[in-house]
Amino acid sequence: MPTRPARPTTRAAGARPARPVEPRPSEQQRSEDDPRIMLDREISADLYEPIPPYPTRTEREGEFYTRGDGEMFINIGPHHPATHGVLRLVLKLSGEQIVDVDPVLGYLHRGVEKICENSDYYHVIDQVDPLEYVSSLFQEWAAVLSFEKLMDVEVPRRAEYIRVLSGELLRIASHTLYIGFLALDLGGLTPILYSFIERDEIVEMLAALTGARMLFNYFRIGGVNGDLNHEFMSRLGDWMSRAAKQTEADAALLNENEIFVRRTRGVGVLDRATALRFGVTGGNLRAAGVPFDIRRAHPYSIYPELDFNIPTRDEGDSLARYLIRVDEVRESIKIIDQCLHNMPDGPVMAKLPRLLRPRPGRAWGACEGPRGMLGVYTISDGSDQPFRFRIHDPSFMNLETVPTLLPGNLLADTMTIVASLDPVLGGIDK
Amino acid sequence: MAVGDRGPKGVRAVPASGNPTVDPAAAASPGAAAAARAAARSQLAPLGPGELTAPIVVPNTLWRAANPLAYDGGRPAEITHLREFGLTDVGRRDDARWGALQIVPTKADYILDLIRANSLWPLLSGLACCAFEMMSGATSKFDMDRWGMFPFRASPRQSDVLIVAGTLTTKMSGPLIRLWEQMPEPKWCVALGDCTVSGGRYKRSYSTVQGIDRVMPVDVYIPGCPPRPEGLIYGMLQLGQLVKDQRGHWPEREIGPTVPDKI
Amino acid sequence: MDRNLKRRLEARLDAQIQGPIRQRHDQTEIRIKPGDAPDVLRTVHDSVDLRFEILADLAGVDTGAEMQVVYHLWSETSPDWLRIIVDGISRDDPRCPSATFLWTGAEWLEREAYDMFGIIFEGNRDLRRIFMPPDYTSFPLRKDFLLPDDAARSPGEGVRHIERPYGPAVVADDPAAGVRRAPAS
Repeated sequence: MPTRPARPTTRAAGARPARPVEPRPSEQQRSEDDPRIMLDREISADLYEPIPPYPTRTEREGEFYTRGDGEMFINIGPHHPATHGVLRLVLKLSGEQIVDVDPVLGYLHRGVEKICENSDYYHVIDQVDPLEYVSSLFQEWAAVLSFEKLMDVEVPRRAEYIRVLSGELLRIASHTLYIGFLALDLGGLTPILYSFIERDEIVEMLAALTGARMLFNYFRIGGVNGDLNHEFMSRLGDWMSRAAKQTEADAALLNENEIFVRRTRGVGVLDRATALRFGVTGGNLRAAGVPFDIRRAHPYSIYPELDFNIPTRDEGDSLARYLIRVDEVRESIKIIDQCLHNMPDGPVMAKLPRLLRPRPGRAWGACEGPRGMLGVYTISDGSDQPFRFRIHDPSFMNLETVPTLLPGNLLADTMTIVASLDPVLGGIDK
Repeated sequence: MAVGDRGPKGVRAVPASGNPTVDPAAAASPGAAAAARAAARSQLAPLGPGELTAPIVVPNTLWRAANPLAYDGGRPAEITHLREFGLTDVGRRDDARWGALQIVPTKADYILDLIRANSLWPLLSGLACCAFEMMSGATSKFDMDRWGMFPFRASPRQSDVLIVAGTLTTKMSGPLIRLWEQMPEPKWCVALGDCTVSGGRYKRSYSTVQGIDRVMPVDVYIPGCPPRPEGLIYGMLQLGQLVKDQRGHWPEREIGPTVPDKI
Repeated sequence: MDRNLKRRLEARLDAQIQGPIRQRHDQTEIRIKPGDAPDVLRTVHDSVDLRFEILADLAGVDTGAEMQVVYHLWSETSPDWLRIIVDGISRDDPRCPSATFLWTGAEWLEREAYDMFGIIFEGNRDLRRIFMPPDYTSFPLRKDFLLPDDAARSPGEGVRHIERPYGPAVVADDPAAGVRRAPAS
């Protein structure tokens, strides 16, 4: 039986390191906003916003961090398996029921607006892709709409048709993923696999067209980057022959699933007045009863010539939001059909100088993405870089309704509501 | 490089370049040196009573910060493991100590490495766009389950590989480093996508970390924006190869961009 | 270009609009002073013939000399977007009344404008940082916050900046040297 060792074994008891370690450097001259990391185990509280008691900074913070009887704080941290990204929700719970919620953003803030202010207009279109990475063509579309208004550029009709075609394909991919992730967050592990099959097909199609699977960098000011090609058309034809049936099959997995319906019906009701007050747009607003769709309300591109409906529902709960996305997939398939039938010939890009220097001015361009209205506000100062490039993201406004929708529900409804709003943290955090 | 090819001496005896102060066997406490000699002699024979009288204090030879500002401003964690003896009669061979003690690998270790390489369980660490390619790599079309990587664990305690997929911002770096520290050894880290390799398209940004190798040791870099799922699979297979070869070159892992000698 | 909208705006808000109402493509733009912002927004939101109920965007802008807050609004009564530029917010003490009394959704947008520019919205119940860590001290989108690689570089001088070789960052003694100023228009 070996004897108990005489030397201290824990650091607290005095165990010293086996080799000499240089003493800790004194506080270095470093500005407070130096983005380099200093990970200090003893002061790790600085990396997180501390839970009180600490003097609260704002009125709303004080209201949130005042704990009543039997209430507790639960942190759904930035790393969690619900795959919407790095979102942190601090919940105040009373038992199982949510009393209040404080979403903490910024874990994916990459400074895109600042980078865009120091980039060419062409580079801006590339930089704006990874915001809503799931549907990156819409980001480019909004930016390009704004730039085209700034520079008075007219887009050839074939380019417009190709834009609508690729955009609607990506809308279908995004909605299919939404359905899969909603089910995944509720615990259903099957629909996500079907969603990814569908999404992989569409994305391979777009890779044949644009060259990349995800961050396409395809739209240009005055058109698109390249014309349709054989591989894209053959893949598109294959997919279209199965698309309608596939969509119905994917949706049928969940539409009549009792667990899914009972978990989403009546949960997170966003009524019309609240939705308008919060500036919510897109499917969430249409599920609340407001038929506002930028493609009809303020048409851009060739949408005035296309025949499609705007699905709207009145209930405003999570089930309605889900059913609207399913309806929108059907409408998008209709639009793609029409685009293919009516595709005109012609150039795919307008002739523009290589050095783009628009006149000083301001322009706002907005398009309808899968999550809502994507707006871009550009100020030009006459040089080849935008002076101010502002992106308005729909998921930002959608997520803002969470502190209103969540309280009163049970803890398990958190993921239902957050997933049904379809947030994409890249766009929210810019 | 064939699996099991360990060179003429049977072990890669010398750590790679750039590591001063390293001779773990000598630098460790005398008890550990005795343990090393004993184990090297015995080759899985149990250690007799009285052979180990001192605790094993394993100095940190696993991670050394090339970047002077990583990890507490340049001071790496001094002690990686602290093992107390006296719990059993038999001296336990703890696999995590191999980095320090340079034990001659045996057949059992070889099989253990094969087991590890063929069932690397990743930790879900999808931060941004590359997460979708990681998920694509895990779902039906590019199935990573074929190589055993199906369960993307949500908990760091149960995972082997941390695939960092997506831009790491300074605000998120704290939680990510906590995740890395919470993962039990053996663990590996894969940098997926340009943003984690070197900062990528956010090289000029004020709030992103320019490559995760500034804050944690990376084993496999997979460039691309985003890399195709086939690229991810290739990277994971390379990691498996790395695991099988000499335990992933444990002593040579550094925080900071590392360039192998052979390039 | 909705001329009708221009007439309606002039009828309702004549005293508060600074300068001419500009219209270009599908946007109508008015400029107001920070003090008038709550009244103008309330008028534009509530009036029967204007009814701009949908807040599309709330952005901060740092023209080198001063700051602005820009609202974009949408109404069913007009095919144009309405842009309200609240001009004249000083850079040393940027304050602007909050729009949260009308739109709750403006709360986070104002938080973002505060985080990026430092504009303090009076009346916002929750004005703290939203993207940057809470102990961050700078305001990143200001024009004097320079990215590490292009301090004091001014493009548009006849050479494409992206073709210039990258040299060391030049930090001028005059703190305003690298700051881009907006054009006077």
